Amino acid sequence: MNNNFTRRDMLRIASVGAAAATVASPAILRAQSGYPDRPINVVIPFDTGGYNDRLARASAPFLQEALGQPLNMINRGGAGALLGHTFFMQQPDDGYTISCSSFGPYVPLNILTQDAPFTVDDFHMINLPSQDYTLMATAADSDIQDAADVIARLQENPGSLSIGIQPASADLVNLMLLLDAHGIERDAVRLVTYDGGGPARNAAAGGVVDIALVGGQGFLPLREQIRPVLVFDEVDNDDWGGDLITDVSGADAEFVYGSQRGWGVHSSFVEKHPDRYEILLNAIETASKSPEMIESLTNQQLATDWRGPEVSNRALRNTAAVMEQHIDLLAGT
Amino acid sequence: MIEFNDVNAALTLLTSSLDAWIWLIPGLAIGLFFGAMPGISITMAMAIFLPMTMYMDFLPSIIFLTAIYTAAGFGGSVPAVLMNIPGTSSAVATTFDGYPMSRAGRHNEALGVALAASVIGTLFAYILLMFLIAPVSRVVLKLGPLELFAVAVWGMLLLGSLTGRSMSRGLLAGAFGVLVGTMGMNTAGHLRNPLELPWLFDGVPVIPAMMGLLAASQLIGLITTDYLIEDEASRKISLKKIIGGMRLALTHPTIILRGSVIGVLVGTIPGVGSSISNLLSYSETKRNAHDADTFGTGNPKGVIAAESANSSSEGGAMATMLALGIPGGGATAILLAAFAMQNIVGGPSFIANNKDIVYAIIFANFAQAVLLLGIGLGFVYIAGYVVRVPLRYLIPSVLVVSTFGAYAIEGNAAGPITLVVFSVIGWAMVRYGYPVAAAVVGLLLGSLLEQNLIRTNQISGGDFIGYAMERPIALVIFALMAISMALSALAKHRRKSRLANLPDQSM
Repeated sequence: MNNNFTRRDMLRIASVGAAAATVASPAILRAQSGYPDRPINVVIPFDTGGYNDRLARASAPFLQEALGQPLNMINRGGAGALLGHTFFMQQPDDGYTISCSSFGPYVPLNILTQDAPFTVDDFHMINLPSQDYTLMATAADSDIQDAADVIARLQENPGSLSIGIQPASADLVNLMLLLDAHGIERDAVRLVTYDGGGPARNAAAGGVVDIALVGGQGFLPLREQIRPVLVFDEVDNDDWGGDLITDVSGADAEFVYGSQRGWGVHSSFVEKHPDRYEILLNAIETASKSPEMIESLTNQQLATDWRGPEVSNRALRNTAAVMEQHIDLLAGT
Repeated sequence: MIEFNDVNAALTLLTSSLDAWIWLIPGLAIGLFFGAMPGISITMAMAIFLPMTMYMDFLPSIIFLTAIYTAAGFGGSVPAVLMNIPGTSSAVATTFDGYPMSRAGRHNEALGVALAASVIGTLFAYILLMFLIAPVSRVVLKLGPLELFAVAVWGMLLLGSLTGRSMSRGLLAGAFGVLVGTMGMNTAGHLRNPLELPWLFDGVPVIPAMMGLLAASQLIGLITTDYLIEDEASRKISLKKIIGGMRLALTHPTIILRGSVIGVLVGTIPGVGSSISNLLSYSETKRNAHDADTFGTGNPKGVIAAESANSSSEGGAMATMLALGIPGGGATAILLAAFAMQNIVGGPSFIANNKDIVYAIIFANFAQAVLLLGIGLGFVYIAGYVVRVPLRYLIPSVLVVSTFGAYAIEGNAAGPITLVVFSVIGWAMVRYGYPVAAAVVGLLLGSLLEQNLIRTNQISGGDFIGYAMERPIALVIFALMAISMALSALAKHRRKSRLANLPDQSM
């Protein structure tokens, strides 16, 4: 029998492949003494194309310049960021692996509902520029007028409106707190559960559900197709013009923030390598405040505000505390 | 419906500079290569090259990315035909007949058929897109869970035609697929994961499972064979035969037309897309074919149906993205990100204000489809050499590449483990006469079916009939399904009675 490929041919092909791989491997941009002297990995616990992925990739050119080393993006999506957060915690805490994630509410959710092998205190936030909030919205052509209308209808008949929502989410906690505040029975409302923010928003915009409660920032591209009803925040940062939760449920209304996204490291890294932490902190701060990065990210509807570690860590821990209080809401609906 | 001023402006945009065109061919080449690598999804290929577009102008960057999109859609069919590995989940139905064609020494033809059907599907989809953008933007968002449930049920009808010799074994395999597809967290937040393995919170990784069921099980079965194609004379790579296959595709315009319409319509629905449309189109084509029993054994019509539908889904997804600013899947999400990088926000106002750009994108995609014909021809010609590699080299190489691919998808050992587990299951199924294809279809459709059934129940408060009466689109889908089944049953009955009458006449 005549072989078309000999063993030698196969070896030749393999060696060409290996050579190509060597040539293609990224060259270190600028050799430096001290940290960082090699590329830094960024763990994104979500798939490509989502907010965190876009935030990390859009910030990368500016962070690379500030750090003098390339950033290497690693997407580890799945199980509501549990897999990615666990993977990140397993990496060495030497500052060569950082993470860009929706730490709030996913870290608390991983811990409270998924028995995660870490605690909130294992994470240290450097900066969480994006703080999302729940927005209650309805289709642009809906007959629902405002928050008072929604509450009145639910008080009369809790099952009268179908409500699009993600299970085990900050949005669900907010809905239940709203129902409690207005004496509406929790179990009587008609929830329609969606697996992601996108499908729930589309359902609201298309009138498939009467109202939906989803992260507000994701609604921005749909602005023309929805009517904002209620913003679960003390301020209306995105100029929706809907009611604020503090108007509807009183100044001391209880609510939680949605996704708190940005840059985090291992808490043990901060203790072990204070010098490296200082360098990383400065690089992220410099990049975040640079006009080029602000312009580029603003164009992409991504947040760049510099809040710093103190505010960011407090925000994450607050979310974790409120979530823990309402752990009963986070089980399946 | 088409504004000629804008068409002119679009042509001026495209012809005024060479920039837009330089990126076309590299984009197509990148797409073909990544699409053909098992485990690298279209989204991943586009995400890798997204940062490059930051330094380009708007039109070149969109043309570059859509070129990757178009070519990766076809690239997935190359390993599907040659090795029974769907490079992407949109090429599952391509394996049903493409791979048997290859085994029979008709690999040249199969690749040619796939290429021509893809190119025409893409062209057709973008032509439809020109007319469809406006109505699509009105209808797509109104589609609710009942409508999607109807689409999933339609897809499940395919099970009936994949059963092979034993109906009960086929349905059992399909049910197994559906059950596997419903593992993990369901849409209401309940976890079906008795072992509490964190890897299974999102269910079984679909693509590694599919690769294991379809490909690895086949390859293990081939271990005693020397070559993919037993007959040495048939192992030739022939440009003439590839082109012959392309001609063959042209002789079935109805199949391409049906595939393209199904592809475009299913493609417009966010979250459904090409991985479902190729199954629907295959199922409809098989049911309406007079030679239905040869499907699954290397009937080129099956390849035409699958490829015309999966490549035209791109046009549908683009319509939704352009008209509403909503990504239907990962690939259009990356395109929207590229829009955003250029400070352009997709959505109704984008189309209204930038008709010239929309037409320019559509025309550029026509050009892509035509160029894909040439570049794809070269690509399949080279890829065809796989059939000349002895299986003792090919099987281990493919298994290694598939394992890497499975790792790349999941980013952890869950991918390779799934691949191995499902290879064994797939091998055992083949060994004991259960159709693996039915299990794969169940796996792909299981979660769509379950999620939307749950949501329909939630939204209707349990009153299915009352709710259905308020959903005209769902009723239309169910009616179309019933009519399609009735027509094909009638045709089958007529054929049967004609056959029964034949001996009478001859007597």
